[in-house]
Amino acid sequence: MPIVTPALAAIIFAAGAVSGGFGALLGIGGGVLLVPFLNLGLHLPFPVAAAISLTTVIATSSSVSAARAGKQLINMRLGMLLEVATAAGSLFGGVTAQMLAQSTVQKVFGVVTAMVAIIMLTRLQRRNVILDPDIDPGPLGGRYHEEESGGMVTYRVKRLPLALAASFVAGNMSSLLGIGGGFIKVPVLNAWCGIPVRAAAATSAFMIGVTATAGAVIYYGTGQLVPALAASAVLGVQLGSWGGMRFGQRASAMWLKLLMAVVLFVVSAVMFTRGIR
Amino acid sequence: MNRLERTIGAVLRAGVIASSLALAVGLLLQFMNAPGAQVLLHAGILTLLATPVARVIVSIVGYIRVRDWTFSTLTAIVLLELLASAVAALVFNKRL
Repeated sequence: MPIVTPALAAIIFAAGAVSGGFGALLGIGGGVLLVPFLNLGLHLPFPVAAAISLTTVIATSSSVSAARAGKQLINMRLGMLLEVATAAGSLFGGVTAQMLAQSTVQKVFGVVTAMVAIIMLTRLQRRNVILDPDIDPGPLGGRYHEEESGGMVTYRVKRLPLALAASFVAGNMSSLLGIGGGFIKVPVLNAWCGIPVRAAAATSAFMIGVTATAGAVIYYGTGQLVPALAASAVLGVQLGSWGGMRFGQRASAMWLKLLMAVVLFVVSAVMFTRGIR
Repeated sequence: MNRLERTIGAVLRAGVIASSLALAVGLLLQFMNAPGAQVLLHAGILTLLATPVARVIVSIVGYIRVRDWTFSTLTAIVLLELLASAVAALVFNKRL
């Protein structure tokens, strides 16, 4: 286990603030940045890095969802249904993480971050499809007021088995790699299941708290979750995401997404080659 | 269901504030070599982990209250999955 010095805690706090800020600006979790920094930059064992990142995922999910609860953007019924799949995936991933070699997990991380980058590039200009406001949302659909257009958005949930499958995979990756998994769920829910991107993102952010907890509990039990380092990261990420949300609203994040995609490709390549060696 | 959403929001907010406070004070105490640092840090982490669990329990109660048996069952399954990961944590904990 790493020795916790004030300098190490300060570095992790700063790293948390940076990844939390980017996470809030880009609508992705900061985990894809925080985990490689902790593992490759600070040489923490992969499970220790993943555990720290998962605690920041829980904190972000809880604080963001607390602010949004009651505003209809989070589809709580859909979220709670899909959580059955994400929590199962996360439990499975947390157990697998104890059995896989670090090099294997690094290779998986490399592949997954490359996927995130590709998804990000394909969604640079993504806008909401115009939805018929008079449709019946059904038992799982939703209705919310969209501030930009000033109108009500109503949607139905399609292809539920696909949403459940994507949630299981997202949960699995979450606890294995220490990330939220929103980048798997949100595009699937948006592109194939009929859910507007804002509702999909809010619902995913709501779910990842439970998902990450199922994984983090296992790391806590094995002693791989170092409380002092997790504390530094959690406090840093909260500061960063607060700043990102406060100052990033007006930024048209397109160039930022491009920059981020490049960074992710680099992270992916470094992580993958580290896994091969 | 708006009442349940507001309760969930309150639970999440309370959990985040309580755990962040415990973690911040615990971290300060740790670097001052003061006693109680480890206790506060562990309490902060456990509060953080307990917050989503509490949110699931509140949801089960909320759905039972409105006699929504489908969602009572679904949220109960999520709680069981969280308990299963706690059991897995105990199994992996070699200190036991």
